[in-house]
Amino acid sequence: MNAKETMVTITIDEKTIQAPSGANLLEVARTNGFAVPGLCYHRKLTPTGACRLCLVKIEGMRGLVTSCTVKVTEGMKVTAFDDEIENTRRLLLNYLLYEHNDTYDGTYPDEMRELIIRYGLDKPENRYFPSVWQTLPFEKDDTSPVLTYDPAKCIKCFRCIKACDEVQGKNVLSFTERGIKSFIIAGTGVWGESECDGCGECIQLCPTGAIVEKPYRDVIELDKLERTVITTCPYCGVGCQIELLVQDGKIVRSNGVEGVSPNDGRLCVKGRFGYEFVHSHDRLTKPLIKRNGRFEEASWDEALNLIAGRFTAIREKYGSDALAGYASAKCTNEDNYLFQKFIRTVFGTNNIDYCTRLCHASTVTAMLKAIGDGAGSNPIEDFETVDCLFVTGNNIIDTHPITATYVKRGAAKGQKIIVVDPRWTPLVRYATVWLQPKLGTDVALLNGLCHIIIKNGWVNRKFIEERVEGGIEAFSQLEELVSSYTPDEVASITGVPEEKLELAAELYATSSTSMIATGMGLSQQVTGTHNVFCLINMMLITGQVGRERCGINPPRGQNNVQGATDVGCSPANYPGYIPVLNDENRRKVAGIWGVPYDSLSARPGLTTVEIMQAAYDGRIKAMYIMGENPMISDPNLNHTEEALKKMEFVVVQDIFHTETTPFADVILPASSWAEKEGTFVNSDRRVLRVRKAVECPGEAREDWKIIHELAKRMGKPMPGYRNEAEIFDELAKVTPIMGGISFERLEKGSIQWPCPSPGHPGTPTLYLENFNTQTGRGKLFPVEYSPQNEKVDGEYPLMLNSGRLLYHYHTATMTRRTKALRDFVDEAFVLMHPNDAARQMITEGSKVRLESRRGVIETVARISEEVLEGEVFMPWHFTESQVNRLTRDELDPYSKIAPFKLSAVRVTRI
Amino acid sequence: MISENRIILKNAGHINPASIDDYIAAGGYGALAKAIREKPEMVVEEIADSGLRGRGGAGFPTGIKKKAAAGATTAGIKYVVCNADEGEPGTFKDREIMENDPHLLVEGMVIAAYGIGAGKGFIYVRGEYYRSIEMLQKAINQAKEKNFLGNEILGSRFSFDLEIMPGAGSYLCGEELTLLESLEGKRGYPRIKPPFPAEKGLWGEPTLVNNVETLASLPSIISHGAGWYRSRGTEKTPGTKIFTISGDVKKPGCYETDAGVKLRDLIDDLAGGTADGKPWKAVLLGGAAGTFVPHGWSDATMCYDELRERGATLGSGAVIVVGSRRKLIPFIQNILKFFRHESCGKCVPCRIGTSYLHAQSLLLDKAGAEERKAILNDMLDNSRQMAKSSLCPLGQSPILPVESLHRHFMETVAVE
Repeated sequence: MNAKETMVTITIDEKTIQAPSGANLLEVARTNGFAVPGLCYHRKLTPTGACRLCLVKIEGMRGLVTSCTVKVTEGMKVTAFDDEIENTRRLLLNYLLYEHNDTYDGTYPDEMRELIIRYGLDKPENRYFPSVWQTLPFEKDDTSPVLTYDPAKCIKCFRCIKACDEVQGKNVLSFTERGIKSFIIAGTGVWGESECDGCGECIQLCPTGAIVEKPYRDVIELDKLERTVITTCPYCGVGCQIELLVQDGKIVRSNGVEGVSPNDGRLCVKGRFGYEFVHSHDRLTKPLIKRNGRFEEASWDEALNLIAGRFTAIREKYGSDALAGYASAKCTNEDNYLFQKFIRTVFGTNNIDYCTRLCHASTVTAMLKAIGDGAGSNPIEDFETVDCLFVTGNNIIDTHPITATYVKRGAAKGQKIIVVDPRWTPLVRYATVWLQPKLGTDVALLNGLCHIIIKNGWVNRKFIEERVEGGIEAFSQLEELVSSYTPDEVASITGVPEEKLELAAELYATSSTSMIATGMGLSQQVTGTHNVFCLINMMLITGQVGRERCGINPPRGQNNVQGATDVGCSPANYPGYIPVLNDENRRKVAGIWGVPYDSLSARPGLTTVEIMQAAYDGRIKAMYIMGENPMISDPNLNHTEEALKKMEFVVVQDIFHTETTPFADVILPASSWAEKEGTFVNSDRRVLRVRKAVECPGEAREDWKIIHELAKRMGKPMPGYRNEAEIFDELAKVTPIMGGISFERLEKGSIQWPCPSPGHPGTPTLYLENFNTQTGRGKLFPVEYSPQNEKVDGEYPLMLNSGRLLYHYHTATMTRRTKALRDFVDEAFVLMHPNDAARQMITEGSKVRLESRRGVIETVARISEEVLEGEVFMPWHFTESQVNRLTRDELDPYSKIAPFKLSAVRVTRI
Repeated sequence: MISENRIILKNAGHINPASIDDYIAAGGYGALAKAIREKPEMVVEEIADSGLRGRGGAGFPTGIKKKAAAGATTAGIKYVVCNADEGEPGTFKDREIMENDPHLLVEGMVIAAYGIGAGKGFIYVRGEYYRSIEMLQKAINQAKEKNFLGNEILGSRFSFDLEIMPGAGSYLCGEELTLLESLEGKRGYPRIKPPFPAEKGLWGEPTLVNNVETLASLPSIISHGAGWYRSRGTEKTPGTKIFTISGDVKKPGCYETDAGVKLRDLIDDLAGGTADGKPWKAVLLGGAAGTFVPHGWSDATMCYDELRERGATLGSGAVIVVGSRRKLIPFIQNILKFFRHESCGKCVPCRIGTSYLHAQSLLLDKAGAEERKAILNDMLDNSRQMAKSSLCPLGQSPILPVESLHRHFMETVAVE
């Protein structure tokens, strides 16, 4: 409760109650033990006053009033229960039963049924009226891949409509017809043909089971559930809290957990329906050893001994640096922490990296250098409350759907939104201004914005003097550099009209609070680090950081991509971003790990793509790959394929066969997120618990246990952790930013790092006082725009951009094993501008071939003006059309990220 | 023998409604010119002093609404909204004004806007009123040309713009808060009160919502003064009222007389008596959301308070005469079918209650006398519960015809 709230005294049925002034009367009554009925009211929604069940009497007001629509005021005298009120409520329930099919199959929670029983109306003889719902012209809507709507079970409470509109900002649902004939429609008709994206918020808020999940409908029986488990969603980096319902050892439903950060019950289609993969028949259940080119089942003993022997032999023959490991953004902190410890102490190398190198490495590199922390500076709630949001290269509605709900709610309240994206994304609908720069021109664009900000005097000089290293002098260097980025010059480089540049600069610089959300569009470029430097420059000179609701946020793509780096899966850093280069650090870490100081390599290791390049060159001989699928996710796949083939020994530890497993010598069956305890760290640095819901299938094992066992068999045993909490305790000792966190504390709720000590409450917003650099000040990095090396020409006339879809995830190993998600989208496509398509006689649905200087793939065409002429876009999830056959492995020199967003191609009709 | 006393309808039929010059020649826009020379508070005060009551049906004192809207503060702009969604069955007075003297409404709205300091107005017209829309649009265009609308009206610092919004066929959109929802482009569902429109109305801004007849009364009040207006009608319902008389009478139509006229005089003197010359069986006062009265009420005084005290309603001024040979059961069935059809479905008691009441009324057909009484009793119980628990006036309306039928015509219906 807010300290500023004044309390008032009211009475309900003569009981005196203190409540915050202006609080909702129904809420106040219920929290004080008065079980006032009600079906249309929900905490997350604006009051509707439709069901009328919460009617009460209030002294001084005429007749009966709905308590859900009344705010409490001092001295209010309320009657919540008397005969007249209860009789009216009973009549209203009778009315509802007149139109409502109250048969109940035990597969969903039914709020109305509870009331029917409470008022004795489950007995037919107590009912006032016969039912007429059978005679109403209602038809079930079964067209959605994920849900079914039954108008005969619908009590027209508006909760689904408001869930879709007010909570998720989608506004797909509404009523059609009037009065007793009214029922819900999606878009202009049925669900399956509407814009509904299947998030299921309507299901979660439906009080009667009129809208229910389709998956597992004929399996689930609520009274036969074994358990419900609260855990963290395994998909993007929002870290939504979900409740898994388990029956007969299987997950049968996923609900959003109400009332907790970061999602407050909201989920997207993946979070609600994307669990089916856990029980897929394709799961790996036994260790597999490749013999004569074929995988054969083996015992754990055999597999682990083989691996230990080969790794040891290769280390002894070629040295530690001939070995490398890929950690996993899908695994827990505990798994990853042990994995990096394994690579460092057992392999004896810093060649440890993972897919973060392919997503936000440049962002993290720039942020570490300029402001000191490689993580988002703000809590997710700020996406709703900030005055101006600058979203660049970030298709947030599809990639971070729940963060987007905050943005959409902000937009509804007048938030200014600047979208920078070469491609139309759904967020453009909510944008105040959309800048559509040509691919690869971001540095010019951002320098141009800085130019306009400086020219108009929107610079915060006081902030520069107090918080920026070098103060005004450093600023002058930036000023000089950007002086040549005049609006007309920038307009000609980027293709963005001058007036849009001016408007964006003004909105960002002059709003009282502005926040940046940056994504893959900016980071996955050869100039990725430079792009983010430019963003930070703009942020620092305007002082749009260092206060609440200001700062820079890279919403993270994977559930634990933040955590894996936090706990040291990095070739340059130990857990907690402590550089391996520093002797003292090395000594400290070695001390905690109980290993000789000089056994830890002082040499920073190779990064993700560098590891493959080194393997290709024969310098890396063996790899341990945990839950990564480089054969889809790495750039320039033909090269990656060669590299994998050249290695002497590759171990892949995963839950499925992937595009990478054919190149393994041993495949180890591992655990999915639902099969283990642990923690993830989400995009706003929130350490969240992961809890075991089901057992591993077959002989599959928890990842950390496999690592632990391998270490032992390679003669470098780790301490005998009894459980994940003990691993975390060690992790917290090594990782100062998590030093105050423990499983015990996390039981009470998530904590945002830095949290250095057990009494520390965690840190919602970074940089309020200092930046985390050595001087405590932010650094400006003025950088010049230089045109990209990859250029279009007569042979490859189009520039290819790649990205993600809402329904699929990363290399799609999980999402394409979930029927509900496949039913939405199950095919790759290339998005082309109509003019480019026409030149090649390509039409909607044409089969096409895409060729770059590196590879060839096939897919189908979709024609849309969502892309600029001369540019094409493809989602990269699909194994049938592997976009990364076309991309390059030219790297950003600072962060070693690859330029997934920029490849010259030609598209021809097959 | 009484006759009409036309204040609001004085021009109707006498001038060309498409000509602003005709209107001006008849003294039109004189009241606006006069008002604009006064302080806005004085204009509101004058209207309040006149005792004018809202002519939409509820009879709420117009002055109180205007004072509330005038007193409300906003950083944005205030609105005046004219409720011209004339949907009450048996009511066709607003149409008469809009088709035959549209400038009178425009002038009334500008005066109201000046009084409360509104910058923008909307006329929400029943969608089927094609001619009203056409005539109003012409009037607005002409008024803009003559600077009775637009920027700096008549050289003052007051600016006001006016727009027409056609309704889309929903009775409920005549309810002021639902009307505002519809005007905002949303589906016509009633809003929760409070806040009232004077505080938070259209797009959350202070808004004055008045009926056509109410706004059309303003020019004469301003021209002649509150005292002149008060000299007409009764103490509590001053001025004139337009009655729309329909049903089994010789001369159905619109009649404007001083409020407080006797019901008998309306029917016999103005409407020419019943069609068959025999005493009428019943009159439905106020439309579907109105009350049946028996012939014994011939001497009823047609003003808000007296009728209310006697348990009837003046409503919109609809007087639907039921002749001696007409049956009441089909009549009530039709009314209840109308409510079922027009219920928006938002709140439970109205959505289901209107449907249930109609279903019950259909049972009257084949029921015996005692059964009919039992059905009427049940209908009365349910409409009472609906009135008690419904969200908006629609669900609170069936009680009016049902209860009055029960009270005055139980025996008639039983044997009909």
